[in-house]
Amino acid sequence: MAKNKKSKDSGAYIFAGILIAIIYIINTFLVESIYWGNQEVSQKTGQANSALNKMNSELTAINMDSISIAAGIIAPEDMGMTQANTEIRYGNIIAAEHQFEAIKDVSPVVTKRYNYAKALITAFKAKLDSLGTDVVMMGDADEMNNILKREIYPLQTTASEMLISTIDAVNVENIKLNAANTRRAFLLMTIMMIVAILGEIAVWLFARRAKKIRAELEEREKNLAEVDAKLKATRQKASDLAVINVLTGMKNRYALDGDISDRLESGRFNIAVFDMDNFRSINDTYGYDFGDEYLAAVAEKLKEEFGEVAEIYNITGNEFCFVFNSSITESQAMGIAQNIQRVMSSPYEVLNLAVQLPCSGAVYHYLPGDCLNVNSLLVKLDTALRTVKMNGGNMINTVMNM
Amino acid sequence: MNKKNRRGVFRAITAFTLSAAMLLAGGCGKSGGQGGPGGPNAQQGGTIYVIAKQPLSFWDDVRKGAEDAGEELGYDIVYREATGDNDYSSQEADIQDAIKKKAKAIVIAPNGKTELNSAFEQAEKAGIKIININSKADYDGVLSFIRCSDNESGSVAARNAIKILRGDSMEITGLKNIAIIGHTASTAEERISGFINTFTDQAADAIAPTEMTENNGEKAEENKKAKIEAYKKGIIKGDPCAKKDAAKEEALEILQNNPGNISVFFGTNTNTTLGICEAVEELELQNEVVVIGFNSDERELAYIRNGVLDGTVIQNPYMMGYVGVRYAKKAITGDNVPLRMDTGAVFVSTKNINDEFVNLMIYPDGKPEENEGGQG
Repeated sequence: MAKNKKSKDSGAYIFAGILIAIIYIINTFLVESIYWGNQEVSQKTGQANSALNKMNSELTAINMDSISIAAGIIAPEDMGMTQANTEIRYGNIIAAEHQFEAIKDVSPVVTKRYNYAKALITAFKAKLDSLGTDVVMMGDADEMNNILKREIYPLQTTASEMLISTIDAVNVENIKLNAANTRRAFLLMTIMMIVAILGEIAVWLFARRAKKIRAELEEREKNLAEVDAKLKATRQKASDLAVINVLTGMKNRYALDGDISDRLESGRFNIAVFDMDNFRSINDTYGYDFGDEYLAAVAEKLKEEFGEVAEIYNITGNEFCFVFNSSITESQAMGIAQNIQRVMSSPYEVLNLAVQLPCSGAVYHYLPGDCLNVNSLLVKLDTALRTVKMNGGNMINTVMNM
Repeated sequence: MNKKNRRGVFRAITAFTLSAAMLLAGGCGKSGGQGGPGGPNAQQGGTIYVIAKQPLSFWDDVRKGAEDAGEELGYDIVYREATGDNDYSSQEADIQDAIKKKAKAIVIAPNGKTELNSAFEQAEKAGIKIININSKADYDGVLSFIRCSDNESGSVAARNAIKILRGDSMEITGLKNIAIIGHTASTAEERISGFINTFTDQAADAIAPTEMTENNGEKAEENKKAKIEAYKKGIIKGDPCAKKDAAKEEALEILQNNPGNISVFFGTNTNTTLGICEAVEELELQNEVVVIGFNSDERELAYIRNGVLDGTVIQNPYMMGYVGVRYAKKAITGDNVPLRMDTGAVFVSTKNINDEFVNLMIYPDGKPEENEGGQG
């Protein structure tokens, strides 16, 4: 019972624990997915920006070289070297273009800007090449300046502007993607939160219900215990009735049996039985109720007078048995027996009538092993008593030891 | 019993609060890490007024560029255009409107060098950033001037005209006079002067061949200069025209008055170019006269394809609008803005009309498919 109660008690808490664990696991996955999502976005952004920056810086470097050529900073004999350098730089731009174009799922805005920049770079390079073949070969410095100033330089600046715009667009895209990620995360979080709240409410309701059930159970147990106690009291009463004479309140024959059976084999004690002579005449003359009252009065008196020296039993109607205390000697017992006879045969006032009856008794100095059972002991005593009664009663006989 | 019950409720509330707090803590950590100070998504930065010169396809492209940049950068673009390229009063009203609507910046191609200065002053006082595009405004508060130099565009036209006249040889043979019809705005003057200066400079040898008889070098130089000056003065300049039909009349008159005496005919904008082309086509002079124009109207492109128009100089209005708004945004957010930017000019002829880059300039929104077959 107690164990069952305990397990029921902790059910709600186990449920709550499992719920929190599940929420935590899902939460972990959520964080993981958001982390990787952001990781991917920032990786993409990083790749795109690195490619675009590379293109822009190489473009600027090429432009610097051409301006240097135009300004006469680079000596004519180094021109070939610079041109070779330009080719290397342009190769880097192409490589960066490939790097950028390899990035998947680029937004239309970014693509548009990038394509614009790329077209400008291509035109820039074409113009630069034509400058290299035509005008530089012709040695027309003025014309070279014109082309640089009016065509190549604007191409480079606009291309650069477009590249930076592309970078901006990539960054805006990045922010947008991150924002979308965050929104998604918050949505999932909110759902999780609602689930958690509902779960907690469920746990709470469950716990409350369990508590209520437990309270009911306790109440029922308490009631049961009460009923049990009542039953026990009743049973006690019943068992008491079995060994007590209702009329006199004295122990009965069964009680005697229980009390002295064990002493028969090795015990040494004094025992006596007394009863009224011709008690029936009372019943016949005054009725049973009167007889009962009379017996009760006698019993009361006997208890009062001899309760301390002997255990008194009301073994049949008007027959009383006295088991003397073990401290009482044989001769003392005889004296007490005479006192008993005197008390019993003294007059009693019952229902405003004074009644007096003689009584007879038998005393037995019991020695160990005299009798096999209480029955045979009582037979011995009764035989002695009957002998007295046959001789006119009102006497005390002694059971002879064989 | 009551006490026990209360403790249970307390325990339930504690457990609930704890798990809720854990969830919240999880959520907060991430939001902090991601959003950043700018928050998600570029917030609307405000309004930028783009004020154009006049209703022409050139300005439509400016508008496209401005609107693309506005969309990319998160700004609302209000596009306005004056009725013509000398109408500064409606531009003034547009500036006042921008002040009233609390615009953050103005990107303007002014129809006048100084006429808008008082309006500019008011705008500047209201904290509006001023970005100048296309033609220069003589105002100190202008943060950046984005243009395609008209002088240099004229120069590009001249150099390409010379290239055509030269053909495969290094020399120009049989150079005759040149004729020019300008449009009615200040840009025309600059384009014309750029054209004439570069042309006479590069064709100097053809205009004034070095005379072997003259031994005195200084004298020869002087003679040459005088001859070039004389050539410059002799250049036929028609009356500035605003409309295509007027330009056609002007061109017809010039061509008919100078039969066989014109090598190059130069128009400074779409309408004058179209007028010249119509006149040349009508008189069937396409093989004798080199026609150089400006801008990239579909009709002009058609004239290039059928050989009447030898080439046209295109500027990059889309880029001008785009960069204009970009710089405006930079100025609004307190970044440094380049003082000037040249978006360049490109000479378009049959040689490069199909280049990707040229197409991007002509069709900022992508080449319209239906035009491809129809125009060929």
